Amino acid sequence: MAHDRIRRLVPALADGELGPLRRFMVTRHLARCPDCTAELEALQSMQTMIRTRLPLHRAPPGLAARIGAALPLEAPPPAPSRPWLPAGRFAGTALAGALAGVALTLLLVGSHGGDDPLTADVIGDHIRSMQADHLTDVATSDQHTVKPWLSARLDVSPAVKELAAQGFPLVGGRLDYVDGHPAAAIVYRHDKHVINLFAWASAGSDAGFREAARQGFNVVTWRRDGITYYAVSDVEADQLAAFAHLVASG
Amino acid sequence: MARDDRKRRFELLALPHLDAAYNLARWLAGNTTDAEDVVQDAYLRAYRYFDAFHGGNFRVWLLTIVRNCFMTWVRENRSSRMVFHADPPVGTTAETEETAWGQRPTDPETMLLDSIDSQTLARLMERLPVEYREVLLLREVEDLPYKDIAAITGVPLGTVMSRLSRARLALRRLWLGSEAPEAAHGA
Repeated sequence: MAHDRIRRLVPALADGELGPLRRFMVTRHLARCPDCTAELEALQSMQTMIRTRLPLHRAPPGLAARIGAALPLEAPPPAPSRPWLPAGRFAGTALAGALAGVALTLLLVGSHGGDDPLTADVIGDHIRSMQADHLTDVATSDQHTVKPWLSARLDVSPAVKELAAQGFPLVGGRLDYVDGHPAAAIVYRHDKHVINLFAWASAGSDAGFREAARQGFNVVTWRRDGITYYAVSDVEADQLAAFAHLVASG
Repeated sequence: MARDDRKRRFELLALPHLDAAYNLARWLAGNTTDAEDVVQDAYLRAYRYFDAFHGGNFRVWLLTIVRNCFMTWVRENRSSRMVFHADPPVGTTAETEETAWGQRPTDPETMLLDSIDSQTLARLMERLPVEYREVLLLREVEDLPYKDIAAITGVPLGTVMSRLSRARLALRRLWLGSEAPEAAHGA
């Protein structure tokens, strides 16, 4: 009886959809039910197979450009029946809009500034990542989930570490674009601050840490094993440097 | 000017999800040409209704539009291959699941899909009804929670759960079937 009820919850457990109480109940049942345990394992093996082996289709190279060219022809809907940005639940959009403006400004500053234009680019990405409730595509503190998720979608397999003990808990991963190329964004926290660690494949030999500060954000960049890393956050510069060393070490 | 800004803001939010949008469309439509049409149509539609995006998860919002565009495309190019099957009544479902998942595997090794390779998996996925393929992609590839899958597919949460169970069951059966010697050389 309990068995039947619990059995129906096993897929939800595999999908991470159970709250703490039901998760506890199901886990306790699993400990003494080989049937349900076998089912959970079968489910998990199928999940792993799909996640790691199902071929993904990338958008063909010209598609983004074709869409970009077609957009201006697409008129916005005629005279919105409600004001452009009313208060209340639309406030988030207003904030997002304002932040997007900031990001754009930063991008422009970067492209006209003398130093590394990517610094401004990754700061823009960092800001955007926090504006639209889209910090992570895969939200988990488990490095063994984040790494394959990113590897399956990118040409690179960047370092993903669990650094909670050192004060930088892993939050998850996300696909992003830096400088027009797909990049992994590995998200950590430090106290209440978000750290975006961008990583993408790039040719060239290993390069040591370089630090930059701009617009209230700190950036540390380095290259290792054919992957360029940019750590971006508003945490203190020495904290971010410590974080960068932790990621790059070992 | 404002329009330029609107376009740039849209691109900043939407282009990072182009691969996800295309992957979903490609798996649903089954070929590149139609997938490209569906995605392009979806992006234009998303741009038109961009002002209606009230925050939240942009990827979910965009994938909902991709999915709707695909459905429109199916209606306009109705083909027997693309029929969405109605979900069977819940009672039958539970029973089917019970018996199918309840069988003790004769050989646990084959029961776990460990040895399946990418090509075989892709072939089996293509043979699944499109609404099964859809929930599996949204759950495992896009890593979305039930509530987002429900929003994208426009069905209640309970339906997402039962459909997902049936999809997994169907994939497992196809796999076990393809393992059988008489099926190995077929198709």
